[in-house]
Amino acid sequence: MKFTLIKDVKHDSLMRPLLGGLLLFILLFLLSDIALRNDHIGLTASTLSQTLFGNEEAFVEPVTEHFLLELIHSDIFFIMMTLLTLSAVYARLCQNRRLRLININLTMISALLSIILLPMAYYLSELFIMPWIVSFYTWHFLAIMMTLASLFYLFVPQKSDLR
Amino acid sequence: MHQSYRFAIAYFILFGALLLASGMVLFFSKIGFSYEAVESYYLGNEALFTSPKSSYGLLEVALPHLGSMGLFIMVTGHFLLFSTKQKKHHAIKIVIALFIVALLDIFSGFLIVEGWTLFIWIKLLSFIFLQLLGLYLLWLLFISVWQGIVAHKN
Repeated sequence: MKFTLIKDVKHDSLMRPLLGGLLLFILLFLLSDIALRNDHIGLTASTLSQTLFGNEEAFVEPVTEHFLLELIHSDIFFIMMTLLTLSAVYARLCQNRRLRLININLTMISALLSIILLPMAYYLSELFIMPWIVSFYTWHFLAIMMTLASLFYLFVPQKSDLR
Repeated sequence: MHQSYRFAIAYFILFGALLLASGMVLFFSKIGFSYEAVESYYLGNEALFTSPKSSYGLLEVALPHLGSMGLFIMVTGHFLLFSTKQKKHHAIKIVIALFIVALLDIFSGFLIVEGWTLFIWIKLLSFIFLQLLGLYLLWLLFISVWQGIVAHKN
Protein backbone atom coordinates (compact mmCIF):
# COMPACT_ATOMS: atom_id res chain seq x y z
CA MET A 1 0.00 0.00 0.00
CA LYS A 2 3.04 2.24 -0.37
CA PHE A 3 1.37 3.78 -3.40
CA THR A 4 -1.17 5.41 -1.09
CA LEU A 5 1.69 7.58 0.21
CA ILE A 6 3.19 8.58 -3.17
CA LYS A 7 1.73 11.90 -4.27
CA ASP A 8 1.55 11.46 -8.03
CA VAL A 9 1.30 7.76 -8.91
CA LYS A 10 0.41 8.54 -12.52
CA HIS A 11 3.75 10.14 -13.22
CA ASP A 12 5.94 7.93 -11.06
CA SER A 13 8.16 5.83 -13.37
CA LEU A 14 7.92 2.71 -11.16
CA MET A 15 4.36 3.00 -9.89
CA ARG A 16 2.82 3.36 -13.35
CA PRO A 17 3.93 -0.04 -14.76
CA LEU A 18 3.45 -1.66 -11.33
CA LEU A 19 -0.15 -0.52 -11.02
CA GLY A 20 -0.78 -1.19 -14.72
CA GLY A 21 0.39 -4.79 -14.30
CA LEU A 22 -1.59 -5.24 -11.11
CA LEU A 23 -4.76 -3.94 -12.76
CA LEU A 24 -4.23 -6.25 -15.75
CA PHE A 25 -3.88 -9.23 -13.38
CA ILE A 26 -7.01 -8.19 -11.48
CA LEU A 27 -8.93 -7.91 -14.76
CA LEU A 28 -7.79 -11.39 -15.83
CA PHE A 29 -8.61 -12.76 -12.34
CA LEU A 30 -12.16 -11.39 -12.52
CA LEU A 31 -12.78 -12.76 -16.03
CA SER A 32 -11.30 -16.18 -15.18
CA ASP A 33 -13.35 -16.29 -11.99
CA ILE A 34 -16.57 -15.93 -14.01
CA ALA A 35 -15.46 -18.65 -16.47
CA LEU A 36 -14.33 -21.05 -13.74
CA ARG A 37 -17.42 -20.50 -11.59
CA ASN A 38 -19.61 -21.15 -14.63
CA ASP A 39 -17.81 -24.46 -15.16
CA HIS A 40 -17.69 -25.51 -11.48
CA ILE A 41 -21.10 -24.66 -10.07
CA GLY A 42 -22.97 -22.98 -12.93
CA LEU A 43 -24.14 -19.41 -13.32
CA THR A 44 -27.72 -19.96 -14.43
CA ALA A 45 -30.64 -20.77 -12.12
CA SER A 46 -30.99 -24.32 -13.51
CA THR A 47 -27.27 -25.27 -13.49
CA LEU A 48 -26.68 -23.83 -10.01
CA SER A 49 -29.81 -25.53 -8.66
CA GLN A 50 -28.57 -28.84 -10.11
CA THR A 51 -25.16 -28.33 -8.46
CA LEU A 52 -26.58 -27.44 -5.04
CA PHE A 53 -29.49 -29.89 -4.85
CA GLY A 54 -28.62 -32.55 -7.45
CA ASN A 55 -30.86 -33.96 -10.16
CA GLU A 56 -32.23 -37.48 -9.85
CA GLU A 57 -33.26 -37.69 -13.50
CA ALA A 58 -29.77 -36.72 -14.71
CA PHE A 59 -28.11 -38.81 -11.92
CA VAL A 60 -26.33 -35.71 -10.57
CA GLU A 61 -25.38 -35.80 -6.88
CA PRO A 62 -25.72 -32.57 -4.85
CA VAL A 63 -22.50 -30.92 -3.64
CA THR A 64 -21.39 -31.76 -0.11
CA GLU A 65 -21.60 -29.25 2.73
CA HIS A 66 -17.79 -29.33 3.04
CA PHE A 67 -17.34 -28.44 -0.61
CA LEU A 68 -19.65 -25.45 -0.27
CA LEU A 69 -18.05 -24.23 2.98
CA GLU A 70 -14.54 -24.52 1.52
CA LEU A 71 -15.67 -22.66 -1.60
CA ILE A 72 -17.16 -19.82 0.47
CA HIS A 73 -14.15 -19.67 2.81
CA SER A 74 -11.63 -19.34 -0.02
CA ASP A 75 -13.95 -16.97 -1.93
CA ILE A 76 -14.08 -14.56 1.01
CA PHE A 77 -10.29 -14.39 1.14
CA PHE A 78 -9.83 -13.77 -2.58
CA ILE A 79 -12.68 -11.25 -2.74
CA MET A 80 -11.43 -9.25 0.25
CA MET A 81 -7.85 -9.06 -1.01
CA THR A 82 -8.81 -8.29 -4.63
CA LEU A 83 -11.41 -5.66 -3.79
CA LEU A 84 -9.28 -3.98 -1.13
CA THR A 85 -6.38 -3.61 -3.57
CA LEU A 86 -8.61 -2.55 -6.44
CA SER A 87 -10.50 0.00 -4.28
CA ALA A 88 -7.23 1.50 -3.02
CA VAL A 89 -5.92 1.93 -6.59
CA TYR A 90 -9.26 3.22 -7.89
CA ALA A 91 -9.63 5.68 -4.99
CA ARG A 92 -6.15 7.01 -5.79
CA LEU A 93 -6.79 7.46 -9.52
CA CYS A 94 -10.45 8.49 -9.81
CA GLN A 95 -10.77 12.22 -9.13
CA ASN A 96 -14.59 12.28 -8.88
CA ARG A 97 -15.20 11.80 -5.14
CA ARG A 98 -18.91 10.97 -5.46
CA LEU A 99 -18.46 8.44 -8.28
CA ARG A 100 -15.58 6.87 -6.33
CA LEU A 101 -17.66 6.37 -3.19
CA ILE A 102 -20.69 5.04 -5.08
CA ASN A 103 -18.66 2.51 -7.07
CA ILE A 104 -16.65 1.26 -4.10
CA ASN A 105 -19.74 0.91 -1.90
CA LEU A 106 -21.87 -0.82 -4.57
CA THR A 107 -19.09 -3.28 -5.46
CA MET A 108 -18.40 -4.16 -1.83
CA ILE A 109 -22.09 -4.53 -0.92
CA SER A 110 -22.83 -6.76 -3.93
CA ALA A 111 -19.73 -8.87 -3.14
CA LEU A 112 -20.86 -9.21 0.48
CA LEU A 113 -24.32 -10.26 -0.73
CA SER A 114 -22.79 -12.87 -3.04
CA ILE A 115 -21.02 -14.40 -0.03
CA ILE A 116 -24.14 -14.43 2.16
CA LEU A 117 -26.70 -15.50 -0.47
CA LEU A 118 -24.97 -18.75 -1.58
CA PRO A 119 -25.20 -20.49 1.83
CA MET A 120 -28.73 -19.08 2.17
CA ALA A 121 -29.65 -20.76 -1.14
CA TYR A 122 -28.10 -24.04 0.03
CA TYR A 123 -29.48 -24.12 3.59
CA LEU A 124 -32.72 -22.12 3.39
CA SER A 125 -34.38 -21.92 0.01
CA GLU A 126 -33.89 -22.22 -3.73
CA LEU A 127 -35.39 -18.72 -3.93
CA PHE A 128 -31.95 -17.25 -3.08
CA ILE A 129 -30.34 -18.72 -6.20
CA MET A 130 -31.40 -15.90 -8.54
CA PRO A 131 -30.40 -13.08 -6.12
CA TRP A 132 -27.00 -14.81 -5.73
CA ILE A 133 -26.49 -14.92 -9.52
CA VAL A 134 -27.46 -11.21 -9.76
CA SER A 135 -25.09 -10.22 -6.93
CA PHE A 136 -22.27 -12.35 -8.40
CA TYR A 137 -22.56 -10.72 -11.83
CA THR A 138 -23.04 -7.24 -10.28
CA TRP A 139 -19.85 -7.25 -8.23
CA HIS A 140 -17.84 -8.74 -11.09
CA PHE A 141 -19.23 -6.19 -13.55
CA LEU A 142 -18.57 -3.24 -11.20
CA ALA A 143 -15.09 -4.50 -10.32
CA ILE A 144 -14.27 -4.90 -14.04
CA MET A 145 -15.54 -1.35 -14.66
CA MET A 146 -13.38 -0.03 -11.78
CA THR A 147 -10.35 -1.85 -13.20
CA LEU A 148 -10.90 -0.52 -16.72
CA ALA A 149 -11.53 3.00 -15.38
CA SER A 150 -8.32 2.84 -13.31
CA LEU A 151 -6.35 1.70 -16.38
CA PHE A 152 -7.88 4.61 -18.32
CA TYR A 153 -7.02 7.17 -15.63
CA LEU A 154 -3.51 5.72 -15.35
CA PHE A 155 -2.53 5.66 -19.01
CA VAL A 156 -4.73 8.23 -20.79
CA PRO A 157 -3.74 11.85 -20.04
CA GLN A 158 -6.56 13.74 -18.29
CA LYS A 159 -7.41 17.44 -18.51
CA SER A 160 -6.06 17.96 -14.98
CA ASP A 161 -2.65 16.53 -16.08
CA LEU A 162 -2.29 19.05 -18.89
CA ARG A 163 -2.82 22.08 -16.63
CA MET B 1 -6.26 9.45 4.51
CA HIS B 2 -8.90 9.48 1.73
CA GLN B 3 -12.46 8.90 2.96
CA SER B 4 -12.75 6.21 0.22
CA TYR B 5 -9.86 4.29 1.82
CA ARG B 6 -11.67 4.30 5.14
CA PHE B 7 -14.73 2.77 3.45
CA ALA B 8 -12.58 0.16 1.69
CA ILE B 9 -10.93 -0.74 5.01
CA ALA B 10 -14.34 -0.87 6.75
CA TYR B 11 -15.51 -3.42 4.18
CA PHE B 12 -12.21 -5.28 4.58
CA ILE B 13 -13.01 -5.60 8.31
CA LEU B 14 -16.45 -7.02 7.48
CA PHE B 15 -14.95 -9.53 5.04
CA GLY B 16 -12.30 -10.38 7.65
CA ALA B 17 -14.98 -11.14 10.24
CA LEU B 18 -16.80 -13.32 7.69
CA LEU B 19 -13.54 -15.12 6.89
CA LEU B 20 -13.01 -15.94 10.57
CA ALA B 21 -16.64 -17.01 10.97
CA SER B 22 -16.52 -19.28 7.91
CA GLY B 23 -13.24 -20.76 9.18
CA MET B 24 -14.91 -21.58 12.46
CA VAL B 25 -17.94 -23.19 10.79
CA LEU B 26 -15.61 -25.20 8.55
CA PHE B 27 -13.53 -26.37 11.56
CA PHE B 28 -16.68 -27.36 13.42
CA SER B 29 -18.14 -29.16 10.41
CA LYS B 30 -14.95 -30.95 9.29
CA ILE B 31 -13.15 -31.63 12.56
CA GLY B 32 -15.20 -30.70 15.64
CA PHE B 33 -14.36 -28.87 18.86
CA SER B 34 -13.42 -31.75 21.15
CA TYR B 35 -10.28 -33.79 21.89
CA GLU B 36 -11.89 -36.96 20.52
CA ALA B 37 -13.09 -35.23 17.35
CA VAL B 38 -9.61 -33.83 16.57
CA GLU B 39 -8.02 -37.20 17.37
CA SER B 40 -10.33 -39.14 15.09
CA TYR B 41 -9.99 -36.54 12.29
CA TYR B 42 -6.18 -36.80 12.21
CA LEU B 43 -5.60 -40.39 13.36
CA GLY B 44 -8.67 -42.00 11.81
CA ASN B 45 -11.52 -43.84 13.49
CA GLU B 46 -12.48 -47.45 12.82
CA ALA B 47 -16.04 -46.93 14.02
CA LEU B 48 -16.51 -44.05 11.59
CA PHE B 49 -14.58 -45.82 8.79
CA THR B 50 -12.12 -42.92 8.48
CA SER B 51 -8.42 -43.40 7.76
CA PRO B 52 -5.54 -41.39 9.27
CA LYS B 53 -4.47 -38.24 7.42
CA SER B 54 -1.31 -38.50 5.32
CA SER B 55 1.44 -35.88 5.51
CA TYR B 56 0.84 -34.89 1.89
CA GLY B 57 -2.89 -34.54 2.55
CA LEU B 58 -2.08 -32.18 5.44
CA LEU B 59 0.40 -30.29 3.27
CA GLU B 60 -2.37 -29.66 0.72
CA VAL B 61 -4.35 -27.85 3.44
CA ALA B 62 -1.29 -26.18 4.98
CA LEU B 63 0.03 -24.69 1.74
CA PRO B 64 -2.83 -22.26 0.93
CA HIS B 65 -3.15 -21.39 4.64
CA LEU B 66 0.53 -20.44 4.95
CA GLY B 67 0.13 -17.91 2.14
CA SER B 68 -3.29 -16.59 3.05
CA MET B 69 -2.88 -16.39 6.85
CA GLY B 70 0.45 -14.57 6.52
CA LEU B 71 -1.05 -12.12 4.05
CA PHE B 72 -4.22 -11.61 6.10
CA ILE B 73 -2.29 -10.84 9.31
CA MET B 74 0.17 -8.55 7.50
CA VAL B 75 -2.52 -6.59 5.62
CA THR B 76 -4.79 -6.23 8.68
CA GLY B 77 -1.90 -5.30 10.96
CA HIS B 78 -0.26 -2.83 8.58
CA PHE B 79 -3.37 -0.61 8.53
CA LEU B 80 -2.64 0.13 12.19
CA LEU B 81 0.53 1.92 11.04
CA PHE B 82 -1.75 4.87 10.52
CA SER B 83 -3.10 4.75 14.09
CA THR B 84 -1.76 6.26 17.34
CA LYS B 85 1.63 5.24 18.78
CA GLN B 86 0.01 3.53 21.78
CA LYS B 87 -2.31 1.47 19.60
CA LYS B 88 0.58 0.62 17.30
CA HIS B 89 2.59 -0.88 20.18
CA HIS B 90 -0.43 -2.89 21.23
CA ALA B 91 -0.98 -4.08 17.65
CA ILE B 92 2.65 -5.27 17.35
CA LYS B 93 2.13 -7.69 20.27
CA ILE B 94 -1.15 -8.95 18.80
CA VAL B 95 0.39 -9.41 15.34
CA ILE B 96 3.36 -11.41 16.70
CA ALA B 97 1.01 -13.55 18.81
CA LEU B 98 -1.19 -14.10 15.74
CA PHE B 99 1.73 -15.30 13.61
CA ILE B 100 2.75 -17.75 16.36
CA VAL B 101 -0.75 -19.21 16.88
CA ALA B 102 -1.28 -19.39 13.10
CA LEU B 103 1.93 -21.45 12.75
CA LEU B 104 0.89 -23.70 15.64
CA ASP B 105 -2.56 -24.13 14.11
CA ILE B 106 -1.13 -25.06 10.71
CA PHE B 107 1.66 -27.40 11.87
CA SER B 108 0.12 -29.14 14.89
CA GLY B 109 -1.74 -31.50 12.50
CA PHE B 110 1.60 -32.86 11.24
CA LEU B 111 2.76 -33.56 14.80
CA ILE B 112 -0.54 -35.23 15.73
CA VAL B 113 -0.19 -37.77 12.90
CA GLU B 114 3.40 -38.40 14.03
CA GLY B 115 2.00 -39.51 17.40
CA TRP B 116 2.44 -36.35 19.51
CA THR B 117 -1.04 -36.46 21.02
CA LEU B 118 -0.30 -33.40 23.20
CA PHE B 119 -0.67 -31.38 20.02
CA ILE B 120 -4.38 -32.26 19.87
CA TRP B 121 -4.85 -29.76 22.71
CA ILE B 122 -2.46 -27.32 21.07
CA LYS B 123 -4.43 -27.58 17.81
CA LEU B 124 -7.68 -26.77 19.63
CA LEU B 125 -6.17 -23.95 21.70
CA SER B 126 -4.25 -22.38 18.82
CA PHE B 127 -7.38 -22.37 16.66
CA ILE B 128 -9.44 -20.71 19.40
CA PHE B 129 -6.71 -18.09 20.05
CA LEU B 130 -6.34 -17.50 16.32
CA GLN B 131 -10.04 -16.68 16.07
CA LEU B 132 -10.07 -14.48 19.18
CA LEU B 133 -6.88 -12.57 18.35
CA GLY B 134 -7.97 -12.19 14.72
CA LEU B 135 -11.29 -10.71 15.87
CA TYR B 136 -9.48 -8.46 18.34
CA LEU B 137 -7.12 -7.15 15.64
CA LEU B 138 -10.12 -6.44 13.40
CA TRP B 139 -11.79 -4.66 16.34
CA LEU B 140 -8.69 -2.46 16.88
CA LEU B 141 -8.74 -1.62 13.18
CA PHE B 142 -12.47 -0.89 13.30
CA ILE B 143 -12.03 1.58 16.18
CA SER B 144 -9.18 3.26 14.32
CA VAL B 145 -11.22 3.59 11.10
CA TRP B 146 -14.33 4.75 12.99
CA GLN B 147 -12.36 7.48 14.78
CA GLY B 148 -11.05 8.59 11.38
CA ILE B 149 -14.57 8.77 9.91
CA VAL B 150 -15.86 10.76 12.92
CA ALA B 151 -12.85 13.12 12.82
CA HIS B 152 -13.40 13.66 9.07
CA LYS B 153 -17.09 14.55 9.65
CA ASN B 154 -16.22 17.04 12.37
